[in-house]
Amino acid sequence: MTAKPDPLIHPITRLSICGLLAAGADWLEFAALRDAAGISDSVLSKQSRVLEDAGYVEVRKGAVGRRPRTWFRLTAEGRQAVEGHLAWLAQLEEAFSASTRDVRQARPLPGDRDQPRRVLPPLLGRA
Amino acid sequence: MCDVARDPAALELLRVQRSRLADRMRPPWWYLSGVAILWALVFACPFSSRFLPQGVRIWPILVAGAALACLLQWGLARATGIAVATRTLRYPAGRPARITMIVVSFAALVTETFLIRHGLIVAAIVVAALAVVAEVAAQQANLRGIRQDLRAGGGAA
Repeated sequence: MTAKPDPLIHPITRLSICGLLAAGADWLEFAALRDAAGISDSVLSKQSRVLEDAGYVEVRKGAVGRRPRTWFRLTAEGRQAVEGHLAWLAQLEEAFSASTRDVRQARPLPGDRDQPRRVLPPLLGRA
Repeated sequence: MCDVARDPAALELLRVQRSRLADRMRPPWWYLSGVAILWALVFACPFSSRFLPQGVRIWPILVAGAALACLLQWGLARATGIAVATRTLRYPAGRPARITMIVVSFAALVTETFLIRHGLIVAAIVVAALAVVAEVAAQQANLRGIRQDLRAGGGAA
């Protein structure tokens, strides 16, 4: 799996939906996905439509009595994209924590004015 | 829409969301009762050859057991909103529990058959009862493992 960003799952809502679908469940029901992601019905409907149109998500609709039930799952293509994107984010997170660690180490202790100041590494995303 | 590239907390948020999802994967009261009935049916099979009336066959009981297992899985998926993969060894944290279930079932069935052949019916019933308890405990451990994998995202295919 190659770590690479995917512009389609880059927005946080879609990342949440895809990340939850990639957690390991076979299918996730609309309400479960909505509650776990902490988003509204309309947002989930809209974003899942985008992901479905892109071929990342498979949607199965059914009904139990009069209540409609919608189930989601990632397609193989979607899973590959999500895993690549999550790996890329993990790399970013690692780089961010490494740079934070360096900043902490580079900051001189109080009363340690003789120490030469090191240049702070650029913040993530501004480089 | 929020751009996650500048937000190192995006993965942390996803971890929280996955944890929330995993918390939904708690079986309702009837699920474990159903599992207990299912295993009781399985462990009642060795007694069938000796105690079932002439002409009554075992396979309708096995079909009923399989139907009950499917019904339980379907009910669990409906109640929790999470359909887990049942035909794969996908969830590594639940794997030891699943292996335990298989080993316990084989061991119990063999022991029961042996005890029934030697006329130790009460001992066989005790073994069956203990095996049912062990299987329900293993199923609980399996669900705990699945929850753990959902939380960590380790159950991905």
